[in-house]
Amino acid sequence: MNAILKNTLYCGLAALLVLGLSRCTDKFAELNTNKTKLTTLGATEYPYLFSKAQSASSYPFDKYQVAQNLFADLYAQYYATTATYFPSDRYVVRMDWLTAHWYQPYTQVVPQLKTLLDQTDKASPENALASIMWVYTFHRVTDYYGPIPYFKAGEPAFSVPYDAQDKIYDDFFKRLDAATAVLKTKTSAKPYNTFDLIYGGDVPKWIKFANTLRLRLALRISKVDPARAKTEAEAAVAGGVMTDTADDALMVKTLNGDDFNGLAGISVWNEFRMSASSESLLKGYDDPRIGVYFQPASGTKTYEGLRNGLLPAQLNQPANSNDNNSNIGERWVKGAGSAWDSQKTTPQDIMHASEAYLLRAEGALNGWTMGGTAQALYEKGIEMSMKQWGITDAAKVAAYVSSTKTPVAPGDALNSPALSNIPVKWGSTEAVQREQIGTQKWLALFPDGMEAWAEFRRSRYPKLYPIANSDNADLPSGTFIRRIPFLDLEKQTNGDAVKAAESLLNGPDKASTPLWWDKNK
Amino acid sequence: MAKYVLICFGVFLLSITSLWAQDRQLTGTLRDEQGQPMPGANVVIKGTSRGTSTDAVGEFRLQIPSGGTTLTISSVGYLSKEVTVGTDQNQLNVVLAADARQLQEVTITTALGIDRNAKTLTYSAQRVEGRQLTDVRDANFTNTLNGKVAGLVVTQGAGGPGSASRVILRGNRSIQGNNSALFVVDGVPIDNSNSGQVTSDFGGFNGSDGASNINPDDIASISVLKGAAGSALYGSRAANGVVMITTKRGKSGKVDVNVNSGVAMESAALLPQFQNDYGQGNGGVASDKSNGSWGVKGATTYPNNVANFFRNAYSTNNSVGITGGSEKIQSYVSYTHNYNQGIVPKNDLTRHTLNLRLNTQISSRLTTDAKITYINQSIDNKVRVGEGGVVLNAYKVPRSVDLADYKNVADEAGNPRYWTTSSVYMNPYWTVDRIANNELRNRVLLLGSARYELTDWLSVQGRASYDRYDDANTYQYADRTLLYAQTGGTYQVANAQNIERNIDILFQGNNGLGGGLKLAYNLGGSVNDRSNIFTQTNANGLLVPNKFDLQFARTLQVFTGLVKRQLESVYGTASLSLNDYLILDVTARNDWSSTLPAPHSYFYPSVGVTAVVSDMTTLPDAISFAKIRASYAQVGNDPDPYRLAQTYSFGQGGTGGFVSRDGTKPIENLKPEITTSLEIGADVRFLNNRLGLDFTFYKTNSRNQLLTLGLAPASGFSDQFINAGNVQNTGFEMSLTAKPLAASSRLQWDLTLNAARNKNLIVALDPNIKQSFLGGSFGRLATPVVREGGSYGDLYAFRWQRDAQNRFVVDANGKPLSSKEAEYIGNFNPNFSLGLNNSFTYGNLSFGFLIDGKFGGVLASGTDANSAFDGTAAYTTANRDGGWILPAVTPTGEANTKAINAETFWTTVSGGRYSWGEFFAYDATNVRVRELTLGYTINTPGTFIKSARLSLVARNLFFLYRGNAILDIPGVDKRKLQYDPDVNLGAGNFQGIENGNLPSTRTLGLNLKLAF
Repeated sequence: MNAILKNTLYCGLAALLVLGLSRCTDKFAELNTNKTKLTTLGATEYPYLFSKAQSASSYPFDKYQVAQNLFADLYAQYYATTATYFPSDRYVVRMDWLTAHWYQPYTQVVPQLKTLLDQTDKASPENALASIMWVYTFHRVTDYYGPIPYFKAGEPAFSVPYDAQDKIYDDFFKRLDAATAVLKTKTSAKPYNTFDLIYGGDVPKWIKFANTLRLRLALRISKVDPARAKTEAEAAVAGGVMTDTADDALMVKTLNGDDFNGLAGISVWNEFRMSASSESLLKGYDDPRIGVYFQPASGTKTYEGLRNGLLPAQLNQPANSNDNNSNIGERWVKGAGSAWDSQKTTPQDIMHASEAYLLRAEGALNGWTMGGTAQALYEKGIEMSMKQWGITDAAKVAAYVSSTKTPVAPGDALNSPALSNIPVKWGSTEAVQREQIGTQKWLALFPDGMEAWAEFRRSRYPKLYPIANSDNADLPSGTFIRRIPFLDLEKQTNGDAVKAAESLLNGPDKASTPLWWDKNK
Repeated sequence: MAKYVLICFGVFLLSITSLWAQDRQLTGTLRDEQGQPMPGANVVIKGTSRGTSTDAVGEFRLQIPSGGTTLTISSVGYLSKEVTVGTDQNQLNVVLAADARQLQEVTITTALGIDRNAKTLTYSAQRVEGRQLTDVRDANFTNTLNGKVAGLVVTQGAGGPGSASRVILRGNRSIQGNNSALFVVDGVPIDNSNSGQVTSDFGGFNGSDGASNINPDDIASISVLKGAAGSALYGSRAANGVVMITTKRGKSGKVDVNVNSGVAMESAALLPQFQNDYGQGNGGVASDKSNGSWGVKGATTYPNNVANFFRNAYSTNNSVGITGGSEKIQSYVSYTHNYNQGIVPKNDLTRHTLNLRLNTQISSRLTTDAKITYINQSIDNKVRVGEGGVVLNAYKVPRSVDLADYKNVADEAGNPRYWTTSSVYMNPYWTVDRIANNELRNRVLLLGSARYELTDWLSVQGRASYDRYDDANTYQYADRTLLYAQTGGTYQVANAQNIERNIDILFQGNNGLGGGLKLAYNLGGSVNDRSNIFTQTNANGLLVPNKFDLQFARTLQVFTGLVKRQLESVYGTASLSLNDYLILDVTARNDWSSTLPAPHSYFYPSVGVTAVVSDMTTLPDAISFAKIRASYAQVGNDPDPYRLAQTYSFGQGGTGGFVSRDGTKPIENLKPEITTSLEIGADVRFLNNRLGLDFTFYKTNSRNQLLTLGLAPASGFSDQFINAGNVQNTGFEMSLTAKPLAASSRLQWDLTLNAARNKNLIVALDPNIKQSFLGGSFGRLATPVVREGGSYGDLYAFRWQRDAQNRFVVDANGKPLSSKEAEYIGNFNPNFSLGLNNSFTYGNLSFGFLIDGKFGGVLASGTDANSAFDGTAAYTTANRDGGWILPAVTPTGEANTKAINAETFWTTVSGGRYSWGEFFAYDATNVRVRELTLGYTINTPGTFIKSARLSLVARNLFFLYRGNAILDIPGVDKRKLQYDPDVNLGAGNFQGIENGNLPSTRTLGLNLKLAF
């Protein structure tokens, strides 16, 4: 008994020791492979990459607030903040929040698009779509800061150089031109199919999208480089821009993976309400869109807005409270008081035919060949915007277009005056017409604060209220913010490149320095 | 069900052990020179390993061979004695004399579970007895270690019973990894991971840790190995030091039953001071929509609103432990039931622990040890910390609002009732009634080992262990809950399975080499497997509102995680001793880790030497013992898995899902992290050991840490894995023990003073990147960072702007201006910690108290920032009426002449959720009466109940000192720290920030121990 036991024991122990010493490291590589991840990419994965890039390009739910809403949306003055802890409405540039605006394009869009651009055939519609999304993504980056890392973006390195904004815009136009050239030959292809979250792989619509984007960018440089602007705008219109709401670019949004509508997601938080600027225009024009964009305040049952740039002590006053001001419309959020229900699957507005008409109207005023008169395009743009929001009553639209009503004083806590004195009815002077086009484009672009802020900086339309208080010494009271300074994140991780980029600016690295295309005083 | 099976099994084992009885029975009693019974002494038949130990009243029963025999009787601190038992003798009374050199004989359980005499150790270790943990209790026993070990700092979780604690020895060293000590139970590491910790001041729910599952009633003793030297043989995870726990085992002889019953009451002990002069409103005007208390003076206020919100929380613990056996088989069975309420209504913890241990002596050479521990723990309504957590929700009530009115949480339409609108804050009663996070844990620990004496001088031991726990967490938010509820309500279920398996084999040898030289050596190998499987399912809204089950989901969404790793190791130690007074220790270990690139291998050694000077030479009479020691050690650490190759993640979204490249650049040539530790120490005792001093100086450097450091995002990567850094900790630990009264005195007084100082320096980080965050990327208040040249845990926050002459700067309207960027405001670590333990015994009466002090360190409080912003803090009553001209200058250098009022001031420096941290940061220095016990023991040998001990216990009784705000604001009285720095927001490396933590609590309890 004892001997058997002894032998068994020795054998067992010997086996254990052998196990310990003859390390089974062969299976380590297998063990150290993450089964919940992909380790290689192929054509099967490309549509998924494209979907990801599209979603990230206009900020997923959890980044929408810090990337867009607390900056561009407030600087475009669609809304004003009601939260006491968001000094960005007083022009304090919170760079820690803005990192979301930087990480999204560079680390969530670029790696995916770069794979597609590098791995798919240059003459393929897949490649063309990736190139269009590249431009769409980057115009929203460069229009915040000016110079940005662009040509070397996505190339692993410790330092990635910044490029001048004119060089970047030049590349935008070249890419859009090349992409539409490819797409024209593949109109029956279905690139990425249902994984294309905007058009489901509809190539003719992508051609219109690319041309409308090209038209947008052409108008953007119309003051700094009028000749190039004309060439690009005319090429875009000739190539075919969006002409009906059927062409509109809307992105699919879903509950899955929190990939829902960012604006809807943040609208339940009681942190922003209708701005006094929105109120003055929408109320003054008796604009039918007011009930789409906003809803009556839960306390007053009327449409109410507040000024941008209020101090915490002002925000604590009842007149500026959430209950006494209008939340955004039921397209994004339903409810009242402290119980709001976010409409998370509302598609995200990317670009619309209404904008294309209003861009063409401005182009026509510039004397460019835009396929119509400025007035006709202006009025068509308004009609298209109404249609986009479900307002199709022709008489109502006609009455609006010919209305002589003007913006009103919003009756806010600061007793602000009316924003402007121009009506919707087409004016007689070019100055009025330009303001009208700018004002209607601002109304039509809602809720795209990114584009509205960029166009305000370029055109200074619509007229907006100066912010009530500035907590940014570089932007004294009465001035408007011109750009976002280079981020602290970049100074920490890409310091040499940021230093070099300062010479690419029109002035010091401050929020008061205009971008390349901003020729305003 | 499984519980009952285990109980039946245990009873069965107890019954069979008695069958092994044989020979004849000897009974005896053991007393010390004062005639006191001596429990726990060893009684062994000389020349064998057969024996027993004395029970609580110093009695023992032992089967001895027929005929005469000799017993060896020994007890720690006493001179061993050999006693001859006559052929017919059945009864024995023995008196042991105290050993003048008693303290040398303290046994320390060292790496791999090897017991060593403390005298021979070459590194610092400290022992805590099990009974030091069972008088004064906590749902997480690690919290009761505070102050008992020099250099050990425990911060407890802020989320109520069961919250993870952070147990730090000798400071922080790991920038992105774990800094908590390794817990080893009976020689085998157990999983003490604390997943899901809050790592930003936004807050959240904290996960539980692993160590809190250990049942203090089953602990026999704890040895704390503080440095890397003591723990080199546990490799990787031991670089933070090791808490070695030895659990109780069965004893041969008659059956002993120990019953412990305790009841305790816990209550909020430190609530912030609120003002009771001004009501809800703003600008001195009353408003029932305002979230602030800046309204009219003289409003009716509700001073006890917040105090009444918390409850007196009751806890009970009941345990029964049964030991019994023969010299062939000994068993220990215990069952413990803990029920702990939290001070927030509905929050409680229930834990059942069943423990069964069986030791056998199959032959004179072969012994086995088997143990099964089953733990069933449920935590109901865990408390969320931070924003939207119940604490801030309650504190934010305006002073003139009666919180009791809001116990009815919903209006007729079912919408939440609240006194204002907010983006994150809500009625605290809604939080309690309509939000629940419940956690259920089932854990099984199995341990089996067998040891065989191959020869007189060589033995071999094989051991296997298995530690598995399954956690099920559910999160439910009723429909219309602000911020968190999806349509119909939010429901999530998260399941995690964690398994750790160890197999090891160890040869132990011992040879005399002649001439007073002895060599002891060990050689072993082990395989360690760890895996974690995680599944979380979200309902994405509920089709039937508030039906919290996945079948009501709008759309199901599943996230999975899977982590596996293996570590294979070979190690050896040798200890060469000359006359037991000069000892040289050498250890070596080689690990092969699956998480490293081929060849997966790394090696690390240690060497130590100790000299017992008092044995080598004759010292003055006053010095009764003296030893010096020195050691040098390295510990290697393998990284987490999956760092070597680029991966791509799938995510839900869009029409068919997303694939994206992971944003962290992998590192192909990853190296293991190495911590080098150097320590020297001395242990000197004076006056017949009545005074002792143990002193250790150490220096550790952790190099090659695996860090994710930010990369220029334009590269397409947000960050990269790199091996970098050199984090240095230097410091000392001191433990002073004294017996101020003579041994012959009826009154005994034992005094222990533990003191420790640690200084951290970030010697180097990376050539390109000089700073890394310890979490909290959105820093609402302050952010702890690691910056080259600084210290681990430096806090950065916005400060009051100063000009070149260090004068405060205000704007043209007289309002403070903030610094341009976040600046240094302090460091979250204490500089110095002190624990003073006193215990007095007079006959059967005992009394003890523990005073615990932490000196230095800074705590930034988000709760305070909210109270200031809301005008609820007591200190906001100053300057309400204006006329407050801050002694400051404008940006252009002119003296400020503009007056402001308190509301303008406090709403400028705090936005509530986001604020300038310097204004709400406090010197975290605090001294408190940590523990107090008063006990009475009744010994009634010969009766059914052999002894009973009744004790009255208190924890965290009161503060003797609290620090002040780091910023003195002209016109505002000094503000005293009102938040407990020993309570953490989460147990990870994001420390130094408080935001909606539960208040510090005081516990009073009564405990009864009975021995049958």
